[in-house]
Amino acid sequence: MDAAAQIFAGGLFQGSLYAVMAVGLALIWTTIGVFNFAHGVLMMLGAYVAWQLTEFGLPFFAVLPLSVLLMAGFGWALQATVVRPLIGRPNIVLVVVITTLAAASLVENGALQIWGPRSKQLPALGDGNTMIFGVGISLHQLTIILITPFVLLGLWLFLHKTRLGLALRAVAQNEDASLLVGLNVRALYGLAFAISAGLAALAGIFLGGYRFMSPVMGADPLLKALIVVVFGGLSSITGPIFAAYLIGFFEAICSYYFGLYWTPALLFAVLIVTLMIRPQGMFSSKTRGLA
Amino acid sequence: MFNRENTASPGRVRWQDEAALMLLGFAVLVVLPFVVSDSYSRHILIMAFIYAIVASNWDLSLGYGGVFNFGHLALFGIGVYAYGLLTKFLELDPWLALAASGVVSTLAAILVTLPILRLKGIYIILVTFGFAQLVMQLVLSQSDITGGTQGMVRIESLYIPGHNLIRDQKFGYFYIALGILALSTIFLRVLVRSKIGASIIALRDNEEYAVSRGISLARQRVITLAASAFFTGVAGAFYAAYQRNASVDVFGMSLSTIILSMVLLGGTSTIYGAIVASFVLTIFSESMADFGAWRPIITAVLIIAVMLVYPSGLSGAAQTIFRSLGRLRANETDNRPDATEPRTSR
Repeated sequence: MDAAAQIFAGGLFQGSLYAVMAVGLALIWTTIGVFNFAHGVLMMLGAYVAWQLTEFGLPFFAVLPLSVLLMAGFGWALQATVVRPLIGRPNIVLVVVITTLAAASLVENGALQIWGPRSKQLPALGDGNTMIFGVGISLHQLTIILITPFVLLGLWLFLHKTRLGLALRAVAQNEDASLLVGLNVRALYGLAFAISAGLAALAGIFLGGYRFMSPVMGADPLLKALIVVVFGGLSSITGPIFAAYLIGFFEAICSYYFGLYWTPALLFAVLIVTLMIRPQGMFSSKTRGLA
Repeated sequence: MFNRENTASPGRVRWQDEAALMLLGFAVLVVLPFVVSDSYSRHILIMAFIYAIVASNWDLSLGYGGVFNFGHLALFGIGVYAYGLLTKFLELDPWLALAASGVVSTLAAILVTLPILRLKGIYIILVTFGFAQLVMQLVLSQSDITGGTQGMVRIESLYIPGHNLIRDQKFGYFYIALGILALSTIFLRVLVRSKIGASIIALRDNEEYAVSRGISLARQRVITLAASAFFTGVAGAFYAAYQRNASVDVFGMSLSTIILSMVLLGGTSTIYGAIVASFVLTIFSESMADFGAWRPIITAVLIIAVMLVYPSGLSGAAQTIFRSLGRLRANETDNRPDATEPRTSR
């Protein structure tokens, strides 16, 4: 019973982090059709920006939205420099991989130059521990578990209930038709990147209040987010969310029973088997589009 | 999908001409050690050769095959560790282990091809990327054998009877590396000019049509990946023998990014482009050694700049320059300066 609750809490927490990361990746893939390998460093940069703002003496409730906004702006700028000029080129998928990888290396080394290699930590979202159903869990983790569904719900509502969200989904489904009805496709691409970067920053702040921050902290979450989007399918927002929690639980179970060393290997084995059976992911149809 | 001008279709350049040019290129490299005598410069050249082998073989799967294999560096890493383990535990002769490592990498490539047979585009990137991470995790978790994060040290080096490879200012290693590069390049060029090469290109450019003409997608994909793995594995084994140690850094993203940028900077589907770009980037990177921590930043900016201006890489840039030079000569009579502007073809 205790083990089950422990696994449940751990899975829920990991799942929340992965969901926030993976949704941002999936958003870019569905709207623009490229993969942003700089997503991990966006997360890292978000955490560092938040750290810098707290160093300036800002209260944390102001730091959180401010750094998410700043990172959204950074995401837009990133899109404008390394992605937008390439749109329409025949080998865009491959070229964007290399430009975003190079951008990632640029940001990572830049962060190393600015903030140095010493580990830092953000203030937690909540202090202390609490007991729920006999499981000890830190308030920080609990806050993340509780906030994440609202963030995801907010994103879902934005995509489904607002005109702008509708426009984004339209671009994802059919770019040419969107151009024909007069949507500003370039601006929408920028918007997708901005939302994605904001979500990455949020994930970075979540992680930075719980683990030590370093310029390479984004690499592992990016990898996990990749697994999540492949597992869940890239063609929707809901698919990666389900997959994020599933992977979170899977990881919690594996590391409980098989140990930390074998968890990544098992995860990849699951990934490869999934792709062999259902190349389009577990929760998605074959079409590209936000649903 | 790719710029058609860059695809070397069989029979475009006579093979005799190409062979003569290749011979000339390697002849220049053969005399280099007599000009460059200090061991540090030779070391840089040896590293450039290793990168050139890895990058040009990657060009086979990525450029010609159109298979976005992001696990290519894992094949290199498998070569590194295969050599280390074969010489240490099976006490295999180093030269035999060098060849055997190539075979091990080839088998690994066939293994990774199986899950991607049905996949396309981005999914291939993700699975092969996952494969690379899986191999790294396996190496890390089996630390009793592989040394884990500590890596392997005191790996058996190669030998030449009657010659001391350690105290010859890297003279011997230079020629071994150059020899592997020459074999690999000849193998790759012969392959892409052959019928198999033509069918690989056909699958990339028009899959439905190629399949309808009786080309097996699955078989050609296995052949492409396996062919690109052998010399990559040998290069990895040579690297292990040369450095005499192995670490999981070879599976890291930074090395992958550098080598991938060599392939793309050189221009895909040329083989030679990747080799030239490897030389340029390795020597450029070394010349910036004084910049220390700024080096990766400068390299990243440079990669982005080249990809934005010349998405078909340096070979595309060279073609554009040659073409506009040709136009310049043709236009000398009528003075229209705008017609001589270098411009990307699309």
